[in-house]
Amino acid sequence: MMRELSALTRRELLRLARNPQALVTALLLPILYLLLFGQAFNLGALASGPGGQAALILSIRGAPTYFSYFSAGMAGFVAVTATLFIGANVIFDRLFGVLKRTSATPATATSIFGSRLIAGSIQPIGLAFLVLGLSLLLGKLGLSGLQVTAALTPVGAVEILLAVVILSLMFASLFLAIGFTIEQPQSYFAVVNAINLPVLLTSAALYPWGTMPAWFRNVASFNPITLAVTVIRENLFAGATSFYPYGPAVYLLGLLGWAVAMIVLAILLARRALAPQK
Amino acid sequence: MTQAISVEGLAKTYNGTVKAVDGVSFAVDAGEAYGFLGPNGAGKTTTVSMLTALLAPTAGHAIVDGIDVFADPASIKRRIGLVFQESTSDSDLTGRENLQLAAALFGVPRREVAGRIDNLLEKLQIADAADRLTKTYSGGMRRRLELAVGIIHSPRVLFLDEPTLGLDPQGRAGFWRYVQELRKEHGMTVFVTTHYLDEADGICDRIAIIDHGHIVATGSPSELKDRLGGDVVTVRPALADQALAAQAALAHVPGVVSVTPQDGLLRVKCPRGEELVPRLVEACDKAGIGLAGVSLKRPSLDEVFLEFTGREFREDEGMTATDRAVRIGQVQQAWGRSRR
Repeated sequence: MMRELSALTRRELLRLARNPQALVTALLLPILYLLLFGQAFNLGALASGPGGQAALILSIRGAPTYFSYFSAGMAGFVAVTATLFIGANVIFDRLFGVLKRTSATPATATSIFGSRLIAGSIQPIGLAFLVLGLSLLLGKLGLSGLQVTAALTPVGAVEILLAVVILSLMFASLFLAIGFTIEQPQSYFAVVNAINLPVLLTSAALYPWGTMPAWFRNVASFNPITLAVTVIRENLFAGATSFYPYGPAVYLLGLLGWAVAMIVLAILLARRALAPQK
Repeated sequence: MTQAISVEGLAKTYNGTVKAVDGVSFAVDAGEAYGFLGPNGAGKTTTVSMLTALLAPTAGHAIVDGIDVFADPASIKRRIGLVFQESTSDSDLTGRENLQLAAALFGVPRREVAGRIDNLLEKLQIADAADRLTKTYSGGMRRRLELAVGIIHSPRVLFLDEPTLGLDPQGRAGFWRYVQELRKEHGMTVFVTTHYLDEADGICDRIAIIDHGHIVATGSPSELKDRLGGDVVTVRPALADQALAAQAALAHVPGVVSVTPQDGLLRVKCPRGEELVPRLVEACDKAGIGLAGVSLKRPSLDEVFLEFTGREFREDEGMTATDRAVRIGQVQQAWGRSRR
């Protein structure tokens, strides 16, 4: 089991490494958001005077600037853009016979799924930190950039890493589940597009928490991107008071629940897809 | 002799109505090369897919290498090799990486992996391209790599599903030469599906002719040809309305086994065609029937297929006589070389 898992994972990683254009495409949308949306959508300019500034900080839950708040959101969103190709790869592998070849070997459905999950989750982890790094760099270049106001502890760093890892696992599972279910690439991308933007737009990745209506906050609270970026924000930004009702561990647990549910669903669908055809 | 494959009443119906395989039964001895011969859509690939545990049957039983295929698909996959008709190698990996992956998935002992891969790459003449991505391989190299992947774990039974589809005659001949060498070395049982009659003739110890999901004849190539009653002389009357009279005249010639009209021609079966041709011409002449042509065919699997299915082999319609002659010659040459 471990041997086949590591061999299949190696195959997936070699394939990703030999097709770097997927990396570029995955980074394109978050970088555009950082360079265009983040720079132009300057909420700080509207907050005049100490009162206005305090209201803005309350609205963005203790982050020093809207861009800082927003860039943490983009680090979460990259988990979506970097994992959606992993499901498409299942479809292309089916079309080009690779999945059929693998199904003809004793490799279990769990290994075939697991290898794709591992390889598919590694890439967004790197990219999430790249987005954070780029956001810091933009600040150094005189543009709107990420400002870290908390003293990042080792525990905090681990929490951020866990948030990114679990979020990546969750979305990789979701897209793998779709990839194992849908047979045509065009149908896959139609479904993924129907998921991609609504997931982003119902999260707290973009919007200031304070500007959302109460019902929207209730929806956004359960969004996995919100859960992950909350962990990142809690650890990067610190003020005199906490702006969050719970500590990062609670959000991580919620995120873990999402990930477990998606992994179980994806394994079931992968097993069904890889079982002898009826 | 031990049976490597035993199939009883195997059937596959799609959507409750389309019978792809309709209750076939057959047995393949260990070490035998057994051919499933039939046109596209006859049920060959469906049968292979069921025997390799990739497709669930609608009915029937199959034992491969002593294992019930449908009760224990995981064990079956460890014991068999499968070469698909389409290319399934990973084009983003090199030839060597494809083989390393297959070796790991089939559980080849780690210490043997490198040696086996080098040996196969050498034998199948892809060693020079071993570290190139397979997307750069020619069609023939890809086919040879498919074969290497199919046998990396030294399977006891090898399934080849139209493995030479799309290859040029030279590529086909080379592919079969490798298969025969491997058979000789490892003594593996080979189950091959093909719609190339000459390949089945040259490679297989026994053949089953499958058409519309049914096995219509089984036997060694020579047995099947013998069932034709010897040679076939094709007689073409000059006038189409004289076909019936010609049939009656030819049927009375001593030595004629049967006369069958087909598409304006008369197919005359006889044991020694070359001796009978002058007498057939003479009989027609006496009956006042002019002839537009007479040809003599040695028994071939084309004739066997025609005999048992009542029609020509569909896929060969587009093939010229020259192509076929070249192919037959090369396959027979390869077969002869491997036997020597």
